[in-house]
Amino acid sequence: MLFLVKAQKGNREPIFSSAHCPNSLSATLSAAEDPFLLHLPIDLRTSRERYILPLWWYYRLAKMNDADVSKQVQQMVHFIRQEAEEKANEIAVSAEEEFNIEKLQLVEAEKKKIRQEYERKEKLVEVRKKIDYSTQLNASRLKVLQAQDDLVRNMKAAAEERLISVSHDHDNYRKLLRALIVQGLSRLREPSVQLRCRERDVRFVEDVLEEAKEEYARKANVDIPGVYVDHEKFLPGPPEKGEPGPFCTGGVVLASKDGRIVCENTLDARLEIAFKQNLPEIRKQLFGLSSHA
Amino acid sequence: MASEPELTTQIVLKRDIPWETYMTAKVINSTGLQLLRRYDRRPDNVQAALLDENGVSYVRVFVGILRDITKEDTVEYMLALIDDMLSANPKRARLFHDKALSSEDIYGPFLRLLAKKKWFIQETSCKVLTLIISARPSEDQVSEEHGSSSNGSQKQLSDNFDKTLSGVVDWLCTQLKNPSHPSRAIPTAVSSLATLFREYKVRALFVEARGVRSLVPLISPASKQEHIQLLYEATLSVWLLTFYDPATQAMADTRISSQLVEVVKSSTKEKVVRVALLSLKNLVKKDIFAHQLVACGMPKVIQNVRLQAWHDEDLLSALDELEGTLRDSVKELNSWDRYKQEVCSGNLDWTPVHKDQGFWRENIKKFEDNDYEVLRILIAVLENSRDPKTLAVACSDISQFIQNHPTGRGIISDLKAKSPVMRLMSNPDPDVAREALLCVQKILLSPKYVSFMQ
Repeated sequence: MLFLVKAQKGNREPIFSSAHCPNSLSATLSAAEDPFLLHLPIDLRTSRERYILPLWWYYRLAKMNDADVSKQVQQMVHFIRQEAEEKANEIAVSAEEEFNIEKLQLVEAEKKKIRQEYERKEKLVEVRKKIDYSTQLNASRLKVLQAQDDLVRNMKAAAEERLISVSHDHDNYRKLLRALIVQGLSRLREPSVQLRCRERDVRFVEDVLEEAKEEYARKANVDIPGVYVDHEKFLPGPPEKGEPGPFCTGGVVLASKDGRIVCENTLDARLEIAFKQNLPEIRKQLFGLSSHA
Repeated sequence: MASEPELTTQIVLKRDIPWETYMTAKVINSTGLQLLRRYDRRPDNVQAALLDENGVSYVRVFVGILRDITKEDTVEYMLALIDDMLSANPKRARLFHDKALSSEDIYGPFLRLLAKKKWFIQETSCKVLTLIISARPSEDQVSEEHGSSSNGSQKQLSDNFDKTLSGVVDWLCTQLKNPSHPSRAIPTAVSSLATLFREYKVRALFVEARGVRSLVPLISPASKQEHIQLLYEATLSVWLLTFYDPATQAMADTRISSQLVEVVKSSTKEKVVRVALLSLKNLVKKDIFAHQLVACGMPKVIQNVRLQAWHDEDLLSALDELEGTLRDSVKELNSWDRYKQEVCSGNLDWTPVHKDQGFWRENIKKFEDNDYEVLRILIAVLENSRDPKTLAVACSDISQFIQNHPTGRGIISDLKAKSPVMRLMSNPDPDVAREALLCVQKILLSPKYVSFMQ
């Protein structure tokens, strides 16, 4: 066993007198007690370095007999081993505790990550739900609007059906035609006007034409206009079921002499206009006041 | 029985126990007797070889004897035998946890023996039990070995273990409070605790049994050899406890901080200083202790320790960490918000804030906030409080304010603080009177005269 001396702070020169022992040693250096051992400022470094004892310890050993020397050395060995074991224990404890703290932190961090992950997923699901809801809402709104539209259209179609029968009541139809012609003339304000009607309506028109012209002239305070009834081109006939194509349920079409200004006073045109103008009222009557109308 | 020489393991092992008579009494079986004859009174190397070969059976015999025989001599002998066996090689304690013994109660006999009157029996049982407990394999290993076989027996084992732990902890706490032996009980108990505290359940049991109060007083500077070892082990135990929160809470109202600081200041042994610093490092993370430590003058102590040039790297790193945490805590403790909190609570104390000149210089303007709100509260405290410490601190705070604020005197007079302070000059408590006097001095005299008086 080789022990080396370390140049410790209080121990720079070789010491041969026990009076120069470092301050940390107590004065109890009598051979009877051995607590001196345990007051030694021994440094236990890593196993690469060597255990270091002050020189005066060797000096003391040198003065002893063999039996005592071996006892001293044994004690020193025991002492160094105990110190080393205690230090090793401390290191083990520190390591274990640090491991626990580290582990806890890692677990917490991972838990947090997982929690965040799930929060994110939850949010996604929420958003998707909202999107689906509003899509559904829109779809059903559209359906409602569509149904409303269909209803209105059906109503218009029904009105158009009824319109056909108007021209069957000859007396009233005649009166109507007269009023229509007057209105048309009033609109046009032309001295010379072309008139076109359905083929079957021609005789009605000719019946009431004179009266209409006079009425207009009177109302508008102008000379009686010239109205030329077109006997060549006619408005199409009433609609036939299953037959597409232009149709006319009655009424007249008036135009200026040169044909530039046209006044459509057919029943269909009038229905169309009436329909368009009254649509809001129609809707209100049918559906009541609704928030998204 | 002071005249009897103390029993030691060596003395006891010199006895001759007639094992044969026990066999005839059917207390030991023939295999047991055979093993005993082979092992007993043989030289160390023979015993070592026997144990290496078939340690478990020997352990079974030993435990059986302790369980079944009550004659004191024999019990002592057996304990001494086991003690000897474990001292020679502590790893042998693992034999007690061998699967083959899992159906037996390895702890029971020792636990029972702790209650005996004779100190030797108590001490050796404690030593042995501690070694056995600390050799217990960890939970994972236990479940690995026992596999899926009967969770019931595993539960039973762990229940038994818990019972043993609480039995041991109770015994140790009692020893700390009422030692069975004048000089050896406490060292034995502390030594045992230092080893057992590595087991977390023990820490919890110990704190619940209110052992902390008995342990803390042992931390005091020591010069004699035995005391140094005791101090080391006590400090080690405390360090282990500082990892457990309820323990640190229990320690908060002891004087552990100042005791540890004393130990650090005066110890010459590196290992003692090392564990003391490690404990302080853990404690300082909690505010209460940071506060106490600053009051003990810890920063100065840290400087001194550095001058002593210890070389252990763990010691030095603990010192550095301690210094860092302390500095941060102090900065936080000295913050303005803390001060304001303290004033508003109406209970003032000599926290470091009140004397720290840096604090006053930096924060003096903040007193003006809200129409001198804090000052008004301070004056209200002066008028209403009955607690002498609060009054003294309040007076000193007002003095500090006057000193550090350019127009302090004027403000204080405006706020009508003079009369309460003057009244306090005649307060029975000497500290209060002194602080009040100093304060009045500052109010009445202009600055240049004040410095003259100081």
